Amino acid sequence: MSEPIICARDVCFQYDDADHPAVDHVTLDVMKGEFLAILGRNGSGKSTFAKLLNALLLATSGTIEVDGLRATNEEDCFAVREVCGMVFQNPDNQIVATIVEEDCAFGLENLGVEPAEIRRRVDETLRAVGMEKYAETSPSMLSGGQKQRVAVAGVLAMKPKVIVFDESTAMLDPVGRRDVMNLARKLNREEGITIVWITHFMDEAVLADRVVVMDAGKIALQGTPREVFIRTKEIRALGLDVPGMMQLSAELRAAGLAGLSATTMTVEEMAEELCRLKSRI
Amino acid sequence: MPIEVKNLTHVYMADTPFESRALNEVSLRIEDGEFVGIIGHTGSGKSTLISHLNALEKSAPGMVWVNGVDLGEKDVDLAKVRRTVGLVFQYPEYQLFEETVAKDIAFGPHNLKLPEEEVQRRVRNAMQQVGLDAKYAERSPFELSGGQKRRVAIAGVLAMEPSILILDEPAAGLDPVGRRDMLDLIASIHDRGVTVVMVSHSMDDVGQLCDRLFVLNHGTIAFSGRPEEVFVHGDELREIGLDVPECTKLADLLRKKGFDMPEGVYRMEDVRNAILEQLGKGGERTC
Amino acid sequence: MLKDITLGQFFPGSSFLHKMDPRMKLILTFALIIIVFVSQGFVGFGLILAFVLLVTLSSGIAFKFLVRGLKPVLFIVLFTFVLNVFFQTGGEVIFKLSFLRITDGGLRMAFFLAARLVLLVICSQLLTLTTSPIALTDGLESLMRPLKRFHFPAHEIAMMMSIALRFIPTLMDEANKIMKAQTARGADFENGNLVQRAKAMVPLLVPLFVGSFRRAEELAMAMEARCYHGGEGRTRMRQLRYGWRDGTAAGVMAALLAAVLLLNYFRVV
Repeated sequence: MSEPIICARDVCFQYDDADHPAVDHVTLDVMKGEFLAILGRNGSGKSTFAKLLNALLLATSGTIEVDGLRATNEEDCFAVREVCGMVFQNPDNQIVATIVEEDCAFGLENLGVEPAEIRRRVDETLRAVGMEKYAETSPSMLSGGQKQRVAVAGVLAMKPKVIVFDESTAMLDPVGRRDVMNLARKLNREEGITIVWITHFMDEAVLADRVVVMDAGKIALQGTPREVFIRTKEIRALGLDVPGMMQLSAELRAAGLAGLSATTMTVEEMAEELCRLKSRI
Repeated sequence: MPIEVKNLTHVYMADTPFESRALNEVSLRIEDGEFVGIIGHTGSGKSTLISHLNALEKSAPGMVWVNGVDLGEKDVDLAKVRRTVGLVFQYPEYQLFEETVAKDIAFGPHNLKLPEEEVQRRVRNAMQQVGLDAKYAERSPFELSGGQKRRVAIAGVLAMEPSILILDEPAAGLDPVGRRDMLDLIASIHDRGVTVVMVSHSMDDVGQLCDRLFVLNHGTIAFSGRPEEVFVHGDELREIGLDVPECTKLADLLRKKGFDMPEGVYRMEDVRNAILEQLGKGGERTC
Repeated sequence: MLKDITLGQFFPGSSFLHKMDPRMKLILTFALIIIVFVSQGFVGFGLILAFVLLVTLSSGIAFKFLVRGLKPVLFIVLFTFVLNVFFQTGGEVIFKLSFLRITDGGLRMAFFLAARLVLLVICSQLLTLTTSPIALTDGLESLMRPLKRFHFPAHEIAMMMSIALRFIPTLMDEANKIMKAQTARGADFENGNLVQRAKAMVPLLVPLFVGSFRRAEELAMAMEARCYHGGEGRTRMRQLRYGWRDGTAAGVMAALLAAVLLLNYFRVV
């Protein structure tokens, strides 16, 4: 966790037809092995920033280094994309091939990996995301959550050090959302892959190591989820939700339960806190 | 009785190896002016069910009635059914097609062959109802933001002036502010006397808005009733891949730990008051 | 109507035909079509028909599938048959009604042409029914590769085909959804005259096109994110290899060609 894998310095990006920048002087380090959530309302610049990280867009000014490679240089873009994979929002629009294992192989084929090695890595990756049973299935037969797992497999097969999830759960139902989130956390914990998780769901950001809140292209707040979400008023003003339990905690404290911790985030913590208070009565 | 469904069964691709039963003996009644929630995960049959309520799927006679009209009858007046029941599908912004917002909203009223003046009145009215400023009328719908596009699409359905409005996941894909605005909008439509049926998988949303809930699982109604009657079944709901609102979860957990919490409680303020009553501000003061 | 089109539908299985290399299947299908057109007499056609029936039997594909696939082209077959019966001349006149004449030569020509069309459809169906779309595109790409030297975009064409195949179900689904949504707004896709119906398609086609462009843009970005940069330096997981089946099939086909040529040479009809 000590050294950064992504260093963004004073990064700006402006779309050709826009009158103000989508990303406005952002400086941010992402540490090796970190699970970082970037939170923000629609149009806050979070998705644009994500696309700068693997050179799908090239920054107008400033520098981004990913694992020592310059994501701001056009020549390095393929090397950067190999290190920093990306899973997009719409599960239907990122699967290229007509069967699951072919799609998983797509990135490796582009890299020119030997066929036998592709085969080996595809089998291994499909097992890692729990889709080995569907290797020969057509993607159109899968649920949204399963399609996103295939998309993760397609990136994972390239053995990236960082995976950026660009609102990858926004179009899924609760089961699919939980599924994809758990997969990302597993890859983070077990494979040590750095995760950058772009979302507007507060309940997903709560599970991250660190939260960065973006607004109008700038970083508005950052810190651990507790540090960030305790600033209820600011979060609301940024068009986001605060965890329900944090809201409840604030209300209970206001109503006189001063002994309650203000940083209670989960239902379990809240129940424990309340039991502790009850036992003191 | 605006909507009545009796033993509705729907089988897709009957008599083929791909046969699947989307609905199995579903019965329900929805009263005038109610706000009803239909909950279920993908593939539970909720989309098939709402398609039946608008006669987009044809049922056999004696299964689905809207305002007393049997939608299964051969000579049913489809135009009238569609005027009565407005249907807003998931991601409705993907069906916009006209050059201007006003023209797109006018599509439905034109199909009803209304006089031009009436069409224009309805367009203005619908835009106002969904909170779209009149200045957008002559803009292209494709230039608007995602949330605005969705409002245009909903206005297009409201312009048919239905007495029953069915919405499939109206808040899907919106950010928290967009979501809150959308739910407020639907509540305001309901306040104007429209019967609303909202399909959702957010327990918090349906708990907040609905009078009554139907939980669909594998084509059958697993639970139905007032929110507190449904949310009592926390464990069973989790088993079928659904959940209860967060504060219901807290109340359930506290009850297990010896707190006296009401069953099926789902409003944050009710949970807060119950906790305060248990611990008592007085209790805290004595500390 | 849509469900009658079996051309382009894949029927999974593990027969001799299924296990052949797609490249050889493509080449031999082409060869068979040439043989069908080279053949002149009844004996030759009988031979080819017997061969096709044998192959169909061995592939485990139900005849009704092939027959159903013939339905959409039935009209064309009948049309060419009738046209040829009346306008081909030669041989003895066997029927005459004012300006219409039927000659035995014309009848034969018409019959052969119809038979050729039917066999042509059956052959291409056998190919697509026993070869998965992905194998088919792989085979085509591989066969077209030598043409790259003449700047023929072999990889691009194969990639386009594969993406088209991938998105057909998605777009069908989307078309269905939009149609439902517009129907709920009172649109009528089924009634009215041709002009009215064509007009009624606008609310379906515009969103479908807009949606396709959006998808294409997102897909392009997703492909780039996975380092796609054209066919240059690209490898494939699936390697095509010719096996004993392909040799055997090639041999059988050569024998069939020889037989038909001999029949022609000795004018056996």
